[in-house]
Amino acid sequence: MNSPAINQNSLKPGKWVNSTCKMCLHSCSIRVHVTDDGVINKIEGNPTNPANNGKLCPKGNAGIMRHYDPQRFRQPLRRTNPQKGPGVDPQWEPISWDEALTITAREIKKSLDQDPRKIMPSLEDFQKMHIWNWPLALGTRNFYQSGGTMCGGAYHPINGYIHSTFAAVNDAKYCNYWISNGAGDGFSSHLHAAAQSNWVAKARIERGMKVVAVEPRMSIAGAKAEEWVPIRPATDRQFAMSMSHVLVYENLCDDAFLRQDTNAPYLVGPDQMFVRDANKQIYVWDSVDNRAKLWNDPSLKNENLALEGQYVVDGVECRPAFQVYKDILKDASPEAMEKITTVPAATVRRIAREFAKEARIGETITLPDGRTVPFRPAAYNYYRGAQGRKTGMMTNHAFQLVNMLVGNIDHPGGRCGVTLTDLCVDNNHCFPGDCGQMLGTPHQLGPMPPFAWPPNEYHLAGYFPVGVHAPHLNLLGFLEPEKYGINFKPDVLVNCHSNPVWAIQGPREQWLKFLREMRFIVCVDVIPTEMTDFADIILPSHDYLETYNATMIEPPHTEGVCFRQPATPPLYDTKTEEDIFYEISERLGVLDQYNEVINLILGFNQKPHLKLEPGKKYSDRDIAERVGQLWNDKPIEWYIEHGHASTERRLDKLYRPWDGMRLLFYIEDLVHEREQLRQKMEEAQVPFRHEWQFDDYQPVPTPVLDPIHLEPAEYNLYAITFKDIQMNFGESLSNPWIKDITYRDPVHTGLLINVHTAKKLGMKNGDIVQVDSPYGRIYGRLATTEAMHHETLGVSNALSRTKSENRSVLMSGGHYNDLLPYDLRNTDGASGQPETSCRVKLTRLDDWPDFLKRGSTVYDYVDSIQNAKNKEGAH
Amino acid sequence: MAKMGMVFDLKACIGCNACVVACKQENSLPDGVFFTRTLSHEFGTYPNVKRVYIPTICNQCEEAPCEKVCPSGATTTRADGIVMVDRNKCIGCSSCAVACPYDMRTMLDPALFARGLFGDGTLTPFEEQGYRRFAPGTSVKCDFCSERVDAGLQPACVQTCPTNARIFGDLSDPNSAPSVLIRERKGRQPLAEKNTKPKVWYID
Repeated sequence: MNSPAINQNSLKPGKWVNSTCKMCLHSCSIRVHVTDDGVINKIEGNPTNPANNGKLCPKGNAGIMRHYDPQRFRQPLRRTNPQKGPGVDPQWEPISWDEALTITAREIKKSLDQDPRKIMPSLEDFQKMHIWNWPLALGTRNFYQSGGTMCGGAYHPINGYIHSTFAAVNDAKYCNYWISNGAGDGFSSHLHAAAQSNWVAKARIERGMKVVAVEPRMSIAGAKAEEWVPIRPATDRQFAMSMSHVLVYENLCDDAFLRQDTNAPYLVGPDQMFVRDANKQIYVWDSVDNRAKLWNDPSLKNENLALEGQYVVDGVECRPAFQVYKDILKDASPEAMEKITTVPAATVRRIAREFAKEARIGETITLPDGRTVPFRPAAYNYYRGAQGRKTGMMTNHAFQLVNMLVGNIDHPGGRCGVTLTDLCVDNNHCFPGDCGQMLGTPHQLGPMPPFAWPPNEYHLAGYFPVGVHAPHLNLLGFLEPEKYGINFKPDVLVNCHSNPVWAIQGPREQWLKFLREMRFIVCVDVIPTEMTDFADIILPSHDYLETYNATMIEPPHTEGVCFRQPATPPLYDTKTEEDIFYEISERLGVLDQYNEVINLILGFNQKPHLKLEPGKKYSDRDIAERVGQLWNDKPIEWYIEHGHASTERRLDKLYRPWDGMRLLFYIEDLVHEREQLRQKMEEAQVPFRHEWQFDDYQPVPTPVLDPIHLEPAEYNLYAITFKDIQMNFGESLSNPWIKDITYRDPVHTGLLINVHTAKKLGMKNGDIVQVDSPYGRIYGRLATTEAMHHETLGVSNALSRTKSENRSVLMSGGHYNDLLPYDLRNTDGASGQPETSCRVKLTRLDDWPDFLKRGSTVYDYVDSIQNAKNKEGAH
Repeated sequence: MAKMGMVFDLKACIGCNACVVACKQENSLPDGVFFTRTLSHEFGTYPNVKRVYIPTICNQCEEAPCEKVCPSGATTTRADGIVMVDRNKCIGCSSCAVACPYDMRTMLDPALFARGLFGDGTLTPFEEQGYRRFAPGTSVKCDFCSERVDAGLQPACVQTCPTNARIFGDLSDPNSAPSVLIRERKGRQPLAEKNTKPKVWYID
């Protein structure tokens, strides 16, 4: 081979293009190096964005291998093999764009003309909410994608109630004591992984921030923590409530905050509703005047508001909301909860006391904007692992109440709300609600569809007025349409950058049947996935290095639009998502409706000169330009030069954006919504109303057990799944660089089991096992470790790929999701969140089952790496 | 005279492997070839367990065993202390790979270049522009991204590290960032007993 003058890619002759990453759904700023020959040969973080500070995670570093993946779809394709199945060659036939779009529109139109509900959307592009929301232009509210409950579930509605935001984060800038419960924030996953781990590392190294990780598997957060607290899966709410028990019963709460800034003093009657006068105004108790007053009585002083006690007002027995929770917490002592969580009571008591001490209740800090606000540098962080519960709404609320009790909500060092987007730099996100409270905004992605009987949505979305879309419930309508009153059957699936058959839990064979019974499936994607194996037509899109976009997506400490632009012209005969969906919209006759949807979703209505006009089609560049202008009025040329408008979060939006309103310690709305729904279901005589999980709607959480703990005792272990940073959010493992690091990491190459537990079960490292849950089965090879909770089996997401046409992806022993339930019993009636852990039992096998003996599994690959290691000198 | 070295902050490192992938990007490394890696090691007994992530790289030893055994003069040390390999002089004898106590030498298997990163026998445009720097069959290793260093930049792994766990600089300057860390946080060298005088240090 030749010896060029320059070896290193970033120094070769070429140019840098400022753009935005899309290797996960977030938006770290990047600079892309393109050689004079037009080859993209290096992607680095853009140091001018204060979010990621020039840093990138391994996925962001691996974007080039997505761009040059030889399996990328290069032109529109039509299936010629009528047989559909995992790894069954569709026998693609290249066709023209015109033909592909004509067929697609024709097939969608057949269903649209009959009943829009027959169209099943599966549109996952979270950086392009105008694509995600395209179904609104058609009038279908079906949902078959992994966002919704497979993502944050009740995390989002509860953040909407507590912060009026989509997400929330511990404030790494000031936090000194960080509890990490089933979460990867700041270490391995979730919000802007590279950016947040950069901020959190600074807090740990420069400020000595202490980390306590509460989780069944010692994750990266657990490894970096000063203390790893192993916990039985699906008992995180009980852990949080046992902490709250200590805070409340040892008087470690920020009472001044609870009195002044929350509805904790509001009086609650026996019907769980606030006690109100004839004008619907809420009563509180003045402990000095020793009588009830209305919340807005001018003679009231915050310090006199009773948080505790039992009163009678207008003949109604009532208690302050704080007292209601305190009474519930009586049954949640660390000693009582230890039996559920396995966390020693003494440990909980110590952590709760440390947490309260580090929260520095009573201290204030003066901000650069001149305000003096409470300083609360201790916060409780949680995410997917902890909150993915059948009792999701209560569980998330229980975590937030730990924060609220020490007064850290939206205060420096505490738990801060993170908006999905502000649209415009001057928008605040908090609005006044009822009786001095902040308006709870559980519908962070827009309102759920209205209740109807028979249901209008295949997944019963109208039955979750404050929940999120629960795609696993599509199986209810599919398997038992009569029971669920489903009088239509979706027969067209429109898919874009979504892999639901990989991502959604429940029995695989039924999901495959669900897909096979679709009359027509169109997939817009870049590479083959488990999903595209079922497509009738492939509409190939450009990738993120070939397109424009502008987005702000829940950046933890910053705000502003991140701008994407093409680093090179498209490699193949592909199109932008915008071109594809505009072409389809035009052919379906819904162009004007689509433009109206975009004006609403992207907020162009706020600046009328940016509004999309009827009858016109817009390019990715047109839309990106408007998103940028909506944010800060800068022209697209400014964004092309800078690549982003990201700045540190404006302080008035970060700290106390709700100043003057009371936060929702007690979520009365959940009672209200429950009773309304109950009434509607009763009036309509909905046949499954007696099965409905109304008890999951509680204004404050209870320590009730999740049904997972009531499974038959023969399932003597719990199973959990997990990802690390190289798999954060979407698909990574078809990428050779990601593969090269993942399958060299011992946590991703075997089913993790506590070494002492394995011994008790008569098993050892390397044993091949069959894993059975009450709902499904997988196979795998045990990897023993000291770093797993003693009742828990850990299944890396890297071991959950199934057979597909993507030759780079290695199957393993089945999919963890196959072990999980999809039924109502295991679904949160309030949020739609299903249980994401399960109970399992292990059976040792002498050998792999036949379907895993044909080579090319993860385990074969891992073995080949091990064998190569023994070769002299070579890795 | 400058003495370029690196400090690994084990407290900061989250084992994310961003450094490893950045290195693969920057240096066009073939599949399975690493100039830097992150190992993980668990110790203790449940529930009192710890896991440490350990970045590894060529230690650019002052008494480099690989240089001493190289029969063709391919391995040399630059004035700033970076140990270099000249692909035109390397005869692929593997002596360096055997001599290196840190397993940081890799003999380039020619088959890697035929197979490609996707293993399907074709090379991506990225590989085509990048593999020109390699002579199959010869020995390769990290050179601290010497061209970037010459251009006043940080090595690619240092530039991307989300947690600033890699600190690069001149160890001969007592005020450089790595020198200060080695002093204040009691830096240790890997396998110091081998007397190779590594210019890579670890701090807890």
